[in-house]
Amino acid sequence: MPALTEKHRQRYDRQFRLGDIGEAGQRKLLGSSVLVIGLGGLGCPAAIYLTAAGVGRIVINDFDTVELSNLTRQIGYGTEQVRQSKVDSMRDHLLHLNPDANVESVGHVMEADELQRRVAEADVVVDCTDNFSTRFAINAACLAAGTPWVSAAAIRFEAQLTTYHPRDAQSPCYRCLYPEGTEAAESCLAEGVLGPLVGTAGCVQAIETLKLLLGIGRSLVGRLLLFDAMQMSWHEIRLKRDPGCPACGDSPQAATS
Amino acid sequence: MARITFTGNVQPHVPCPTETIPGDSVADALGTYFEHHPLARGYVLDDQGAVRRHMVILVDGIPIRDRARLSDALARDSEVFVFQALSGG
Repeated sequence: MPALTEKHRQRYDRQFRLGDIGEAGQRKLLGSSVLVIGLGGLGCPAAIYLTAAGVGRIVINDFDTVELSNLTRQIGYGTEQVRQSKVDSMRDHLLHLNPDANVESVGHVMEADELQRRVAEADVVVDCTDNFSTRFAINAACLAAGTPWVSAAAIRFEAQLTTYHPRDAQSPCYRCLYPEGTEAAESCLAEGVLGPLVGTAGCVQAIETLKLLLGIGRSLVGRLLLFDAMQMSWHEIRLKRDPGCPACGDSPQAATS
Repeated sequence: MARITFTGNVQPHVPCPTETIPGDSVADALGTYFEHHPLARGYVLDDQGAVRRHMVILVDGIPIRDRARLSDALARDSEVFVFQALSGG
């Protein structure tokens, strides 16, 4: 674990005053690595808070460019970044926020081999994507590598969040919850999404990621949080690992499914 | 008697209050539920009676296996939770 400098002590003062973090926790964060996949409404706040908190290495991945219509919720970008690469814009933003961070940007869609390698290098993966096929691919890579991942999804005024932990025997995986062929009936493009709603979900992902890195608190493993911003209510659903799951069950059919 | 709950965000669109209903299988219990709340059926099931591809039905925390006929068994105190899979980010 890296030693703390005087600058670290000043920057992270309010954080390591927290008894559950302390100096040892801050050093743990500085020595951690996180992979954030997707830099939209979830990924922007998640990457920003993780960098601000002092996570030592952040790998950010998105192939897309910033559009004007992103700016209601994708708070890592400004009007001047429209039409620019999201990863490059976000990398600049993160390094401006915390020059000590080691930020690597991946500006293309990762094929299975690269995804597998980068997932294995990360301590935690933060799933901020916007489609089921990528989420299934992340699930397969995390199962193979044993890397925990924090997943969220949102539309309109509602969000869903949970954490999957392949090294926890009680943890379900994404395939336990969603069968192959699951499709979204609606998209943010068609239905819209409230900026602070998806930002809240991204912030919860950052909290959950920090807890996993630090090994503190009670994780969301085995629990699906449903946030209804219209009613301003949180609902929790208990999830179980499915012994018959084709991906993580007792007789998995295909490690990559 | 299974307790059937729909995710809250469905309820403004389709009346689907939480109810406790007898039934040995998901098909039995939801069949009765949809008699009470017919508009909810089309939200969850397609015209063949299968679970729509964006919907998830959990029984005691595990998704049902038989999405075509909903034959998954229920215990006397099972919790059935119906929600929509989201992917937006």
